[in-house]
Amino acid sequence: MLLILGQILWTGVANAAYYVLFTIAFAIIVKVVRLWNFAQAGMMGIAFYSMYAVVNLLNWPGWLALAIGMVATMGAGLLIELYGLRPLRRRHSSSLMFFIYTLILSELISYVLMLLFGTEPVTLFPSILSPVRIIGGIVVSNWDLTAVGATAVSLSALWLFLRFHRDGQFLLAVSDNGALAELYGISAQRAYLVAMAIAGVFACEGMYLFGTRAGVLPTTANDLMLFAVIATLLGGMGRLFAAAAAAAVLALVQSYSVLVIASKWQGLVLYAFLFIVIVLFPRGFRLPSLRRRRVEQPAVTEAKA
Amino acid sequence: MDYIYSILVLAGIYLVLSSSFDLIIGYGGLISIAHPIFYALGAYTAGLLAVSWHIPAVPATLAGGAVAMVASVAMSLPAIRVAGDYLLIASIGFQLGLLQVIKNVEFTGGDAGLSNIPAAIGGPLRSQIFAAISLSLGLTVVFLIRWIVRGPYGAIITAMRDDELALLALGRNVTRIKVVILALGSGLAGLAGGVYTFYYQYLNPSQFDVLQSATILTMVVIGGMGTSLGPVIGTFLLLGLPQAITFLHLPPSIMAPFQGILFCALVLLFIQLRPQGIIAARRPQT
Repeated sequence: MLLILGQILWTGVANAAYYVLFTIAFAIIVKVVRLWNFAQAGMMGIAFYSMYAVVNLLNWPGWLALAIGMVATMGAGLLIELYGLRPLRRRHSSSLMFFIYTLILSELISYVLMLLFGTEPVTLFPSILSPVRIIGGIVVSNWDLTAVGATAVSLSALWLFLRFHRDGQFLLAVSDNGALAELYGISAQRAYLVAMAIAGVFACEGMYLFGTRAGVLPTTANDLMLFAVIATLLGGMGRLFAAAAAAAVLALVQSYSVLVIASKWQGLVLYAFLFIVIVLFPRGFRLPSLRRRRVEQPAVTEAKA
Repeated sequence: MDYIYSILVLAGIYLVLSSSFDLIIGYGGLISIAHPIFYALGAYTAGLLAVSWHIPAVPATLAGGAVAMVASVAMSLPAIRVAGDYLLIASIGFQLGLLQVIKNVEFTGGDAGLSNIPAAIGGPLRSQIFAAISLSLGLTVVFLIRWIVRGPYGAIITAMRDDELALLALGRNVTRIKVVILALGSGLAGLAGGVYTFYYQYLNPSQFDVLQSATILTMVVIGGMGTSLGPVIGTFLLLGLPQAITFLHLPPSIMAPFQGILFCALVLLFIQLRPQGIIAARRPQT
């Protein structure tokens, strides 16, 4: 039984990798641009099918497909920002208009992909099998290690970028207070473009991992994005790494729910979470702050004395 | 000729859907895209009542509207309590979650759909009668919503959309207004679902997915949000457009995405070039 639980834990952690990447892509736009970017599903579709075309039509290697996919996704993100969102922002459009724009753009991209690639599920490479090894009785595949490793490296790189790179610090400044940041000479427009580019990189990396593991349809990205939306809500708006942690926890809950819920009801777990999060944790789930309690405790003791 | 009548039946159904959706999104300013699930709830309720309990079409359709109304309250109460954008997210989850339930439970027919729905009207004039009923319902809904929004309650609805804080300061119960708008709009969508059920006599969950949301949204945005005439124009334009491109004789595998591209491109063009739609809503002078 322990082995089964351990196996589910490991597979859940490995599968959480692409969910974490999609969540970061979604959450960084929410944080910096303050927009629910439903066009991310379209960007994810562009990412996957551009890589698919490179691998299957041009017969180029996977690493080159990933690089081209990233360029295509970043390009799509920048075009969306420059020619879609910026004009809407300039016109002081309502949040409803932004929502309709991103949602319909995503649908448009899905239809174009359907027209170009059909509606049959396809994988990035002809085979999704990956060599495995047994570690402590748990099956660990090369794909699992690649997924966990790549995600850990990407998250670390993002953390370093936000903390030490000038553009990263500008992103944080704009996300804190865009108007004040502009007063200090920081370009919010540039920050939005950088955020879109980062979202493109993470979305593409996630689609590479997903596409090497499962079949993809032009509409697959919509479901994957919904997961990112829930994780972003659960993590709390503007808390990037908390959203990533929430995505990992959600993926694990979904993995373990196999033990108690029939597979056809698995999707419902996600929607149930969505409602619970909205009703109980609308500002995100926060663990009690231990640091604050430690600081407050002596004060309380003093007061009692 | 039967084909034209079937288009007219659809026109009536979409008039109800787009006008009731406009009440929610255009007049009320409430961002929800779950409208098709209330349409589905009305359709499935009416269909199941007719199949399992042999309830006649009219009470079954009314029951469909009532179920949609109750379901909308169940969705909106927890979501509206929090804040605006949460309603949108909750509506997406609600729609996809309920669709999953419809697909997975046996009594709805699951993925295969619900069939053997009895014919409410038979005979050679069936399509004509249905077209008349559907269009009458559509026009009644258009005038009902026009009557509501031009009355004192309509003034409160639009005031809430334009300045919710001011309305709160006047002591109005904004949450109740939002729940009422959503319940009314959803109930009307449920009635449209009943008409659909008894005309087509077959229901499938894929008819009520997110693409349906995009279609209804397109009708409202292109026609003009927050106007009575806008959804009417949007409905006829979007139902007429696919007929106009049938002369291309494209295979169905190309035709379906091609239509989708056309619809979506139209919406994006309108958002960028004429966000107010064909008919612009009148806004209060400030």
